[in-house]
Amino acid sequence: MSLFSQIVQYAISGITSGSIYAIIGICWSVVYLITKVLNFTTGEFVMLGGMLAWGLHAAGLGMFLAFLVAVAATICIGVLLERTTIRPVRFPSEMTYMMITIAAASVIKGIILLVWGSETRTIEPFFGNKVINILGATLTSQALCVLVLVAVVTVGLSLFLSRTIFGKALRASAINETGARLMGIDISRFRLFCFALAGGLGAITGIVITPITFTGYNTGMLTGLKGLVAAIVGGWTIPGTVAAALVLGLLEGFAAGFISAGLKDVLALLVMIIFLISMERWAYRRG
Amino acid sequence: MKAISKTPIVWLFLIAAIIVIPLVSGSYVIGVMCFVAVLGALGVGMGVLMEQAGIFSLAHPTWFGLGAYVSGILAVQGETPPWLGSIIGAVFVAILSVLIGAPLLRLRGYYLACATFGLLLVVEISLAQLGSLTGGHEGLMGIPPLSMFGFTFETDLHYYYLAWGLCLACLWFLHNLMGSRVGRAVKAFSDSEVAAGSMGINVPAFKLKVFVLTAVMASLAGSLYTFYLRFTQPGIFGFPLLVELMTMLIIGGGRTLYGPLLGSFVVLWLREFIHMYLGKLLPRMTAEVDAIFFGILIIVILIFMPGGLAGWVDRLLGFNRRVIGKAAD
Amino acid sequence: MRGLSKRFGGIKAVEDVSFGIPEKGIISMIGPNGAGKSTFINVVSGVYTPDAGEVHLEGEDVAGLPAHAMASKGLGRTFQLEELFISLTVLENVLVGCHTGSSSGILPCGFSFPSARNEERRLRDESMKCLREVGLEERAYNTISQLPLGERKLVGIARALAMKPKLLMLDEPAGGLAAHEVERLIQLIYALREQGLTLFIVEHNMPFVMSLSERIVVLDEGKKIAEGTPEQVRSNEQVIKAYLGEEVA
Repeated sequence: MSLFSQIVQYAISGITSGSIYAIIGICWSVVYLITKVLNFTTGEFVMLGGMLAWGLHAAGLGMFLAFLVAVAATICIGVLLERTTIRPVRFPSEMTYMMITIAAASVIKGIILLVWGSETRTIEPFFGNKVINILGATLTSQALCVLVLVAVVTVGLSLFLSRTIFGKALRASAINETGARLMGIDISRFRLFCFALAGGLGAITGIVITPITFTGYNTGMLTGLKGLVAAIVGGWTIPGTVAAALVLGLLEGFAAGFISAGLKDVLALLVMIIFLISMERWAYRRG
Repeated sequence: MKAISKTPIVWLFLIAAIIVIPLVSGSYVIGVMCFVAVLGALGVGMGVLMEQAGIFSLAHPTWFGLGAYVSGILAVQGETPPWLGSIIGAVFVAILSVLIGAPLLRLRGYYLACATFGLLLVVEISLAQLGSLTGGHEGLMGIPPLSMFGFTFETDLHYYYLAWGLCLACLWFLHNLMGSRVGRAVKAFSDSEVAAGSMGINVPAFKLKVFVLTAVMASLAGSLYTFYLRFTQPGIFGFPLLVELMTMLIIGGGRTLYGPLLGSFVVLWLREFIHMYLGKLLPRMTAEVDAIFFGILIIVILIFMPGGLAGWVDRLLGFNRRVIGKAAD
Repeated sequence: MRGLSKRFGGIKAVEDVSFGIPEKGIISMIGPNGAGKSTFINVVSGVYTPDAGEVHLEGEDVAGLPAHAMASKGLGRTFQLEELFISLTVLENVLVGCHTGSSSGILPCGFSFPSARNEERRLRDESMKCLREVGLEERAYNTISQLPLGERKLVGIARALAMKPKLLMLDEPAGGLAAHEVERLIQLIYALREQGLTLFIVEHNMPFVMSLSERIVVLDEGKKIAEGTPEQVRSNEQVIKAYLGEEVA
């Protein structure tokens, strides 16, 4: 492959990964903005989507039905999480919630490991192995699905938040919780909705990316964390998260291609650390 | 209205228990108690960092792992005596923690936790990737036992005493420290950075000092751990260990210094019971599976008993909860 | 004449304020809400950095030094919202004030060297003295949450006294206090002045300020609008306008 085609190839894989991180980042933002909870099970939602879909299919369910049930089950798990672990907390603090979600994530991981073992699994690409050739590089049909998904989610969610009453109420609560409560808005139902939304979106994403990245009990954490990086760098807004995620994905793609595939995960984490430090420095200078 | 000082009682109990246990138990129990000591030392340091100083660094297991790896690598290469390897490991960790801590510690709450979590994973992945040096995913094997001044530590009992010696030394040091001017300064800045600064406490410098101190303690614990196990793996020092440590801290509650040691005892023996009784029922028993139970335990305690098990025990026995901060009268 | 002169410009809250504080005096700063008084203290004590200006303490320009450095130069202060250390007892709070007067480091403290232990004993004695000064020695071992507001404010003062400051800045010390507590505070301030302390008080409570101060500086919307003795300030038209918001014939 010529150098140019290589670059395009890495760019394609980068944009694909970036899209994944974008949706995951949005899952983090949705929960964080409304509830101030850093939900560390976001990554596990993604993993659950893929693993449940594979598991149900392997157990005999039709592909489409398996997807549906997987997404529904993950949404239920998200709801369960909110009701049993977040809502009952008596002395809420950021750190308590964070530790709870970290603990919940490890519970979910462990259970999946028990049930289905440690091998990585995959499912069939939705549209078979068709590819499109672009400038000497290949774009798989599954990657195209990912891109379509990102577009749909981004546009859909933005419209929902700005055009519907429910969406506007959500945004209001994010900005001022007390004010929202005074208006009669039930915050805990919103929180439930956000967890359910994160669960559903995460699961769908997980299903769509499984043909590309495979899935396994361990895949949730790193991917989830990269989504977090995108959300933080993107300032928790939808356009910001998407932009940050795409940049992160591209950086990863090029680093994996030109430097080393093994260390690409390290890159995302280093980006987060460096970004957090620089942001703090910048704020300090202004204050 | 002074409190009944329970500190001497706790010390007496600890020392008595440590002496008695090997006399009445076999090497299995001694082995587990050895781990209790090592992880207890790690946990107590992390407790001071997170609870007393308010520094939410999730990277604590990293220092443990780096101490283990540096001493392990040096020992395997054969040219450095193991005890020197431990010291070199501690120095390495000290330097690294200063370099990393200085910029990182300016971050607040959430962001510090995220950044240090990132650090934890970065080091774990890097250790696995640098295969030629570290043995990669499989880990480093064939680490020779610790030997000092001609004496080689070989049996479980040797390491038991060494581990408890380290653990008690750390506990004693931290107890003195937290009851002194330094400890007050730490608790002060975790309550109010502004007021602490106005009292002449150089907060960023202090934060760094606590960070480095606990990192070095973790590193020493890590060296001991690796010489006992005679091998090491990147997987040991990552997320599952963090979950274990968090469980220990949460069980121990935040108010007492020795809480995490109690937590270590509970967690490790709980793990033994889980393996013994459920090991037959469940298809596999790895650290991740243990994490299921620890995770549930964390959630239950955080929801219902925020003061942790130690806090609950305190209240049950009617003791005043304030042990730390009582200076030597 | 040992004292402070301050010139500040540029911070939106406080603009180009200048005056001097003579040694062993009581100077107060008053002004309507939002005038910038607390900001002013924060800038001088090093919590905020000034955008422009100088602060001279005993002839040395110390503007822009961080709070802990200002503390070691002899500046002590209290806070409007107390900012006490809630996980420490009353005595321990005051002991923190002794920080600049002590030097045992991590190793001596951790290993319990005799030097550290001796210093600790000395610090305890000094702290108890400070508590006695404000009349709270019976409360030494209480936790902060057990104290009413008036006593908490006194702890704040005791803590600042433990620093053996040359200049003590009190930020709204009378805020929220009942009448008898204000009396006690006034007596305390007189006693401190007798001992040679220089006091700078930011306050809202007019009778309190008028009866105590030798000189008063008035701030409004970040600028100094008057300076003088209590009588001068009381009859100053601009001051009256600032407080009442209207012209007084």
